[in-house]
Amino acid sequence: MENILLRDKVAELEGYFAAGGYRALKKALAMEPAAVIDEVKKSGLRGRGGAGFPAGLKWSFIPKDAPGPRYLVCNADEGEPGTFKDRELILKNPHALIEGMAIAGHAIGAATGYIYIRGEFVAETVKLEKAIAAARAKGFLGRNILGTGTDFELHVHRGAGAYICGEETALLESLEGFKGQPRLKPPFPAVKGLFAGPTVINNVETLAAVPAIIERGGDWYAAIGSGKSTGTKLFCVSGPVNKPGVYELPLGVTFKELLEKSCGGMKEGKRLKAVIPGGSSTPVLTAEEAWMVKLDYESLAAAGSMLGSGAVIVIDDSQCMVKLLQVLARFYHHESCGQCTPCREGCGWLEKLLNKLESGRGTKKDIDTIVSVAENMMGRTICALADAMAMPAISFVKKFRSEFEAHAAGKCCPPDAPVKH
Amino acid sequence: MAFVTDEFKAKAEKICAKYPRRDAALIPLLQELQKESGYVAEEAMDELARFLNLPYARVKAVMTFYTMFNREPAGKYHLQVCRNISCHMAGAPGLLARLREKLGIAEGETTKDGLFTLSAVECLGACGAAPVMQVNDEYFERLDEARLDALLEDLKHGRLRARDL
Amino acid sequence: MPKITIDGKNLEVAKGTTVLEAAQAAGVYIPRYCYHPKLSVSGNCRMCLVEVEKSPKLLTACSTECADGMVVNTASDKVKAARRDVLEFLLINHPLDCPICDQAGECGLQDYYMEYSRARSRFRLEDKVLRQKRRALGPHLMLDNERCILCTRCVRFCSEVTKTSELEVMERADHSFIDLKAGKSLDNDYSLNIADLCPVGAWTSRDFRFKQRVWFLKKAPSVCLGCATGCLIEAHHNEGEVYRLMPRPNAETNTWLCDRGRMSYKALRAGDRLTKGFIKNGLIDLEPALREAATRIDEAGAAAAILGSPWLSVEDNAALALLAAAMKTENFCFDFKFETGIKDGILINKDPSPNAAGAALVKAAKGGLDFDEFRARLNSGAIKLVIAEARAAALLKDELRASGARLIAFATNRTDIPAGAYATLPYASYFEVPGTFINYQGLKRAVQPAVAAPEGVKPLWEVLNKLAAYSGASLRLDSAADALKGME
Repeated sequence: MENILLRDKVAELEGYFAAGGYRALKKALAMEPAAVIDEVKKSGLRGRGGAGFPAGLKWSFIPKDAPGPRYLVCNADEGEPGTFKDRELILKNPHALIEGMAIAGHAIGAATGYIYIRGEFVAETVKLEKAIAAARAKGFLGRNILGTGTDFELHVHRGAGAYICGEETALLESLEGFKGQPRLKPPFPAVKGLFAGPTVINNVETLAAVPAIIERGGDWYAAIGSGKSTGTKLFCVSGPVNKPGVYELPLGVTFKELLEKSCGGMKEGKRLKAVIPGGSSTPVLTAEEAWMVKLDYESLAAAGSMLGSGAVIVIDDSQCMVKLLQVLARFYHHESCGQCTPCREGCGWLEKLLNKLESGRGTKKDIDTIVSVAENMMGRTICALADAMAMPAISFVKKFRSEFEAHAAGKCCPPDAPVKH
Repeated sequence: MAFVTDEFKAKAEKICAKYPRRDAALIPLLQELQKESGYVAEEAMDELARFLNLPYARVKAVMTFYTMFNREPAGKYHLQVCRNISCHMAGAPGLLARLREKLGIAEGETTKDGLFTLSAVECLGACGAAPVMQVNDEYFERLDEARLDALLEDLKHGRLRARDL
Repeated sequence: MPKITIDGKNLEVAKGTTVLEAAQAAGVYIPRYCYHPKLSVSGNCRMCLVEVEKSPKLLTACSTECADGMVVNTASDKVKAARRDVLEFLLINHPLDCPICDQAGECGLQDYYMEYSRARSRFRLEDKVLRQKRRALGPHLMLDNERCILCTRCVRFCSEVTKTSELEVMERADHSFIDLKAGKSLDNDYSLNIADLCPVGAWTSRDFRFKQRVWFLKKAPSVCLGCATGCLIEAHHNEGEVYRLMPRPNAETNTWLCDRGRMSYKALRAGDRLTKGFIKNGLIDLEPALREAATRIDEAGAAAAILGSPWLSVEDNAALALLAAAMKTENFCFDFKFETGIKDGILINKDPSPNAAGAALVKAAKGGLDFDEFRARLNSGAIKLVIAEARAAALLKDELRASGARLIAFATNRTDIPAGAYATLPYASYFEVPGTFINYQGLKRAVQPAVAAPEGVKPLWEVLNKLAAYSGASLRLDSAADALKGME
């Protein structure tokens, strides 16, 4: 299978252009915006940031007669633990993103686009800005692109350290110069988004797939992948495998294939115990559950988890599940924006419970309390961060309860240096 | 004005021009102030609030919400070790322990000579190359004790390897 | 106009109405902390979660717009569980301060816990997040960050109502806390409304601190007399003491109360409260003071004058008019021309007096000089003695001094007395006796007394009744209402 996204020698504009880059933009600008949206709909492309929402459908939510400027925003916040694909894409193929955004801008009638990139990605920001400058110099961005009369101005905006800004409305708040606190929905961004204008927010990987879809057709893209999970996905594999990294594969590949063919299998002496299939916010799978599961939206949902961002975190049996859940709880607690009650208080409570269990001071009752608190957080908050904390908590306890009970009986793993908040 | 100088204002206007509303430039301008002074001072927030015609409280709230803003000057090298799940499994706690031992400081502290500040941070988005540490703007990946020690030596001698892009 | 069903009740609401507003109209109470009818919707406390058919998740009633055909259930098991759980989350880090917290008895957490929870705690005391307590953040307010439930009502109040934006939530997660700039004081003119707004004991009034348990307080409906806005208020009192004033929110005049008005009850027990007469810098009992005043009035004869007051009730102004008639003087005035209207965009009026319109009512019925004419007669020497309430007299303090006319003033507090007054007689304040006032909107409101006047202090109409008697006239007033006879 030839890669669509992770291609060689396209990092600079010359190489990208020589490989056929910006042809799709030219083609798209000659199409009616509605036709561009239709093509993306046909492709079955779904949001690659984690939610898996059909991209073409999202674009079509922009009201036809809405007055005022529309905006296209790229979510390059990449904060979901285990995820590192957008960084790879920006370094290896930034123009796919730029071209994809210019096409999307045309499709939704947005003359301005912002790439919200996490503040820690300094080198990537520099790379992106250079690529944008090069594209502008060649007339692929800015005013009157390729003489078609279409304008599309693209800006890069850096984040300042907040995982919650990966949530689309928190991202918009942050872009507008506020704390990254998610907004109440409805209204949805397509109706009232950035600076109160109709806005589409898409992940880097989603937008980067658009040029190929326009160039080669939605049907072509839809033929790749599996069922309603069309196209390729950038899978990020981390953990004790021989070759961790980002791998572009058609959706529907099995975990076994990903691990053995792409990653060269488990490292010497490491036995697979658990897999988090789509970033830390997705329910954990046991080695058995994960082995033959197809990595696509529907199959993982049927297995009780989610494809999420496609960040596959491989866990071997030298790891303590209580400890790992403690690490995750500390993360979500740190990242909660603090707006709404269940998340603000619940994340802190869960970390405290896990601290107790991990250090041998916890009880069996505490294990039940963890599940209870997690369940009480779910579905009652402004955004999904509470669910992102709750789902690992519930699944870790459910599937590895014996480890939690061992801790409650005082049998702990050798402790690290004390957890410092 | 000590921080929002004429030079700063000129830079700021260019940044503000990217947005239809000036106050959207708040975070980039706070980052600009931190770039120049190494941290965001109280006075700087006052001046920036006036410059953008915003209440001080909003500037302070934003500054304290995001982890990348320093409220005090940091050391010359800010060592930020990722402590999230993949880096944890790859040995981050050991690296942190080694840094605490070698530098004689705990997370959140700065060495007396002002050279190093140590922090434990959350996922840096480079998990395939765990364990990862960010030093100022640079990522250092696949760290082990040897590479960490070598990096510390480099830094002590003022060598922060810039990355080839 | 969407038609919805709430707990089986059908109703039709205006487009844009939220489920919470609709429920209110239908008499269904939905618990809430962050929602306030006069502030923007925040939707973050999660207390108002309700079940809406066809929605997989519970929805916050405060932020969900009614849609045609919506079926809402506020009493299902899911909703009950959500309320219990949200309360549990709010209480885990809440300090066990009830025994020392002024909010006890009117506390949102206490009330909702009793109504919707009663669950035992499963969180250890040692694990509670600690925050700053007892922060005196301004002349009127104390902040206890530990008690705060981060509903952000205070932040929104400062941003949207006073537009001063002093407050914000700093940090994030459960390190969040409300703060204002270090060294700055929270002293906008409406700061005490924040103590009202705060559902818990995070923001409390420094004035009220530790003075009285709220369950002992009785409430007397009253009107603020600080300016012509005439905010409706309640005087909270117990055993003869007023402890605080609270606004009585209403559609026509006020939701809030300004800090000055809020503190206006302090005059009742201020050190300079007049309980005796005051003649030539000497205190003297009321009876001899009245006799002395009456003597001077008789001396002045036709050169005596009576000035009404926009700081007195309609009834007391009417009694003054009756006195003028009994004295057979033409020198009386109930005309006060103040520019009216809200001057700060919120509540404070350009007209500093509460009853210029009430005095005008007396003028319409009884006639009298225009203010300028009265002033002219004072300047020309035609008036040699003025009988007036102290603050009304102060409007002419320069003319009084220049003309040398004797002033017999009525006052509640010594600070109100213009310098050089010949005699001052005490009268009961309107927290102690009833009265009618007309505000700048022309709305007539009655004050109900809350406490008894100090020993020997009488309502003004009664003082005037006696004064007249000592002057050989008879007003025949047995009540405030008597003064109004002949005016309707």
